[in-house]
Amino acid sequence: MKVKVDKTVMASVALHVCVLGWVMLSFSTKALEIPPEDSVPVDVIDSSQLAKVMAGTKTGKKENPKPLAEKVAEAKPVDDAVGKITEKPPVVTETAPPPQPKIEEKPVEKKPDPPKVVEKPKEEPKQEPKPVEKKPEPVKPDPIAEAIKKEEKKPPPKPVQAAKPPEPQKPRIVERHFDQSQIAALLDKRDPTRQAVANDTLNSNAALGLSKGTAADNSATWGSMFQRQVERCWKKPYGGIESQKPEVAFAIRLKRDGTLEGSPVPEGTPATPYLRVYQESALRAIIECQPYKLPANFYEEWKYFAPVFKEKV
Amino acid sequence: MLYRPSRRQIIAGMAALGAVAGGRDAFAQAPKRVVIPEGEFTPQPIAIPNFVAGTPGDAEVGVGVAQVITNNLKRSGLFAPIDQAAFIERITNIDTAPQWQSWRQINATYLVTGRMTRQGDGRLKAEFRLWDVNQQQQLTGQQYFTSPEYWRRIAHIISDQIYERATGEKGYFDSRVVFVDETGSKERRVKRLALMDQDGANVRYLTRGSDLVLTPRFSPSTQEITYMEFGQGDPRVYLFNVETGQREIVGNFPGMSFSPRFSPDGQRIIMSLQQGGNSNLFVMDLRSKSTTRLTDTPAIDTSPSYSPDGSRICFESDRGGKPQIYVMAATGGGAQRISFGEGSYSTPVWSPRGDYIAFTKQGGGQFAIGIMKTDGSGERILTSGFHNEGPTFAPNGRVVMFFREPGGSGGPSLFTVDISGRNELRVPTPGFASDPAWSPLLS
Repeated sequence: MKVKVDKTVMASVALHVCVLGWVMLSFSTKALEIPPEDSVPVDVIDSSQLAKVMAGTKTGKKENPKPLAEKVAEAKPVDDAVGKITEKPPVVTETAPPPQPKIEEKPVEKKPDPPKVVEKPKEEPKQEPKPVEKKPEPVKPDPIAEAIKKEEKKPPPKPVQAAKPPEPQKPRIVERHFDQSQIAALLDKRDPTRQAVANDTLNSNAALGLSKGTAADNSATWGSMFQRQVERCWKKPYGGIESQKPEVAFAIRLKRDGTLEGSPVPEGTPATPYLRVYQESALRAIIECQPYKLPANFYEEWKYFAPVFKEKV
Repeated sequence: MLYRPSRRQIIAGMAALGAVAGGRDAFAQAPKRVVIPEGEFTPQPIAIPNFVAGTPGDAEVGVGVAQVITNNLKRSGLFAPIDQAAFIERITNIDTAPQWQSWRQINATYLVTGRMTRQGDGRLKAEFRLWDVNQQQQLTGQQYFTSPEYWRRIAHIISDQIYERATGEKGYFDSRVVFVDETGSKERRVKRLALMDQDGANVRYLTRGSDLVLTPRFSPSTQEITYMEFGQGDPRVYLFNVETGQREIVGNFPGMSFSPRFSPDGQRIIMSLQQGGNSNLFVMDLRSKSTTRLTDTPAIDTSPSYSPDGSRICFESDRGGKPQIYVMAATGGGAQRISFGEGSYSTPVWSPRGDYIAFTKQGGGQFAIGIMKTDGSGERILTSGFHNEGPTFAPNGRVVMFFREPGGSGGPSLFTVDISGRNELRVPTPGFASDPAWSPLLS
């Protein structure tokens, strides 16, 4: 009996030791790997601060008098930056009712004339009474429809089709063919409805809200990108073991291609010889490291900013 | 692309300027701040071409000066001199700006150009310019006149100028080291006082080696050395003038006098005198020869060292049981213990900058050289081993020299180490060497 109990206890102990030992060895020796990530500064703010943060939003005060301009060009009146939904002719696809009746009448004719539409009733008897005038209104003929029409007209079999008696269903089946060489004809050749807002001066602000609103602060993203790049060129002078807490700042303007627009402007004059050397080394780094690769969509934020070189605390 | 503003754009630009003036534009705001905190210290790449010879006979000295400067800056650990073989431009005239592109191409941050010219009166003219390759401008430039035999000294002075301008710290190259030169077998070791440049050049022997000499110390303000010598009887403290070779005994006390050191003004010598089984600190005025007692304890108080402003003294005492470091006012009075680590502390020496105290620490069968702040905090061990002893600070307080004995049949030699613990280097000496003491800057 006793021996048996001892055995189970022993087995239990041995198993525990094994498991715990394995855990200690395998878990403790495994370095915790954290992929490098950008730090995101987090602030605890109250509701009034939140209100300020949101100052640059749609519901903000409309203080910014300048209209949005994304590229420099001849001013072109654009009513709405968001894009305007214009009335446009319906896109004609191959499933749309083919203009058979016209062909039937005059194979040479291109544009649908009001009189022809009047003749259409054969197909759609319901619509006939109401929009006799409306139908022809699409003054701009749809390019695709036209292209399709052209294609349809060209091939010789047309006369054969024309000769056939008007059957609404049969021609449709014939129409549903797909010509690979004519894919270009299917392109939507209309102008895009969302256009870059052009003006003679650039202005990143949408017409609403305050320009100093901080809602779109992406400096954590491009700032760390700038930091990584400039650090590669920074040959920091040795400041001794005593932390001298040096801190030098510059104001720099960057062009869109990431090069400096002018010489960086140092903030203040260094108080000690070491600070002067420190400032010089930082200035060298800024100049040597250009051009900077920063996200183009945040250009408005990084075209003018202040890099601050300081000692790690 | 040529940008040709239309009239309309000019008007718009002026409108934008108006907006700036009105403070409504984004430009009027403080720019967003991006912090760059991660920069690593990097030795600064520097190109030092041979100095141009002003007359055909000066080529050799021009090469020598460039070599001394290169060696100094390289040994400091703060510069990375670029190999001359990599140079693209050959400097022939130092009065015109160098070809920036050819120096930028080899990644030089700094460039030193110089010229050595023998004058009609036999003197040597040395000129140099330090350039910032990136900013394309001269940072500093000087010219000196000297006797031709002192060209090394000129090279050290130029090194100090470069070091100071490029690091923001005072240099230490134009300085000397006094040490105990040791020759012969371990049983019959001959010890002589010797003096050399800080880089190991120009060794001179100051004593003949008939008597044992120990703990030489430089005066901070004069060309004098004080040291301890075992003559026929008890060890005595001596004063030695480097220029004249004159030697005199400091005071005539009964019993031993040892571990002398100058006050910062060079007018007094502080030392310990043995009285019975213990020793106490005394200060002696070199002019009036008057002696003042500073401590009176039944313990061994020794190795005193002044703070650079002369207001305080650090010393070693075993009044707490084991040798530890204490700090007290220069006039004596209550002393405060500042060393509390494991083991015992000895040979404290106050940095010329005033910020640190270097010491020898013994414990665990090892001798270490370390530094701590003057309140005892921030202890930092710079090197540790079988036997390291006798730290002494460079004039700028950034480098510590000490001697190391490897054990066995070998002898001691001198080393320097940065106070960060980096860049440990052996100092070349003709034989074995111990007990170094760094001089102040010569100029």
